[in-house]
Amino acid sequence: MPYLRRYVAMLLIAVLMISSLPVAAAQTAGLVTTQSALQADTASSDRERINDVLARADVQDQLLAQGVSVDQVQERVAALSDAEAKQMADRLDAMPAGAGVVGALFAVFVILLVTDILGLTNVFPFTR
Amino acid sequence: MFFRLPAKRRWHKSIQQNARPAGVLLCCALLAVLLSGCATSPALQQSTYQLPEHVELENVPFYPQEKYQCGPAALATVLNYSPATIPGSSSAWTATQAQGSERNTTITATNLVPQVFIPGRDGSVQPEMLATARRHQRIAYPIRPTFDALLEHVAEGYPVVVMQNLSLPAWPMWHYAVVIGYDLPDETLVLRSGETRRQASSFARFDSTWARSQRWGFVLAKPGRIPAGITPKRAVDAISDYESVHGIRATLSSWQALVAKQPQNAMAYFALGNAYYALDRPEKAEQAFKLATAADSTLGVAWLNLGLLYQAQGNTPKARQALEKAAELPGQWQQKARTALDKR
Repeated sequence: MPYLRRYVAMLLIAVLMISSLPVAAAQTAGLVTTQSALQADTASSDRERINDVLARADVQDQLLAQGVSVDQVQERVAALSDAEAKQMADRLDAMPAGAGVVGALFAVFVILLVTDILGLTNVFPFTR
Repeated sequence: MFFRLPAKRRWHKSIQQNARPAGVLLCCALLAVLLSGCATSPALQQSTYQLPEHVELENVPFYPQEKYQCGPAALATVLNYSPATIPGSSSAWTATQAQGSERNTTITATNLVPQVFIPGRDGSVQPEMLATARRHQRIAYPIRPTFDALLEHVAEGYPVVVMQNLSLPAWPMWHYAVVIGYDLPDETLVLRSGETRRQASSFARFDSTWARSQRWGFVLAKPGRIPAGITPKRAVDAISDYESVHGIRATLSSWQALVAKQPQNAMAYFALGNAYYALDRPEKAEQAFKLATAADSTLGVAWLNLGLLYQAQGNTPKARQALEKAAELPGQWQQKARTALDKR
């Protein structure tokens, strides 16, 4: 299974790299593109480009590890901007993931009940 | 080991002795924090009170969330809301939109789950919320993180997807909801949230849950339409991100709309110039680059592209003039401008 995952990841990296090339080529010939003008640090655009591809590959690996299906992951990563891909590659684990109201522990329940009544939180519908 | 054991035991004992006062102290501290932090209504700017007193976008559909899937539900809610009903938008751009494909009728929360939900995290993360909107031909504009901006967007007719932490920072319960209305005299917001079709929440309660996400929220617009009150930087970034996924042809109308809405936005003119150039309309591109340098004469990259455009056309004197200007301005484009100058 780990081998399979590794092969899938490598295959996806290759596909992603190839599929991202035409986009780069289709930009304004010779002129500085809007996207590279917007990037805060453009020490070397080639190096940036490689970093972007690596960040995307990294995000892809992380999403696969988090249970996203193989046939969806490529399109999901492709829809991210470079900045978003970098952000996710750096700190997907620490990122808040919107899930909604989930059952809380009892100790926490009491505290949240009080804060709910005070209007600081919005966990239990019956406090309103 | 032998020497450590008694020390550990003594330490244990002192813990037991101190446990009760410590507990009392903790309770007092907690109570103090809670009482001092009692929810208060956010202070609004005077201009916000000029907005209509009561707004509710009743036509915004409702997709109840299942399990942890408030992300897909909130996205389906705004993706299925037809912006055609937005009042006060200029009719010049509606013509362009009519040509756009209308194939978003089958988006449901369930369909969006494989696109935006992360099973390992039991939730959806912010960058993917924006990216998924992009996949459905909508540009996602993050809003200014203020209560005033939130109300302004709703008043203009845009439902706002917001991220809240319904619980306390120590035990976060991150949640996406859609703000669809407000009542200024009553100080209440109306949301499509979770399994509740119409949830009313006081300004104060909502703001304390919203503030925990640094007041993060976004509105969706079709290409060619720019919501009012988006900051110049955020607008340019949002359209540029859309462009990198869908190509320049898809964003030309948005750049046109942005320069019409924000005539001081030099970066928007610059991007418009690039779009025209890529679509083989160099005379329009030249004009846009010129307007970019007129809006901000220190925008080196605009001078650079203007120079490179003249150079490609073989107009040497004008190219030299623009490139020299770019080479003068300190910044990351100086070097490229000098290289281009040396080529002549």
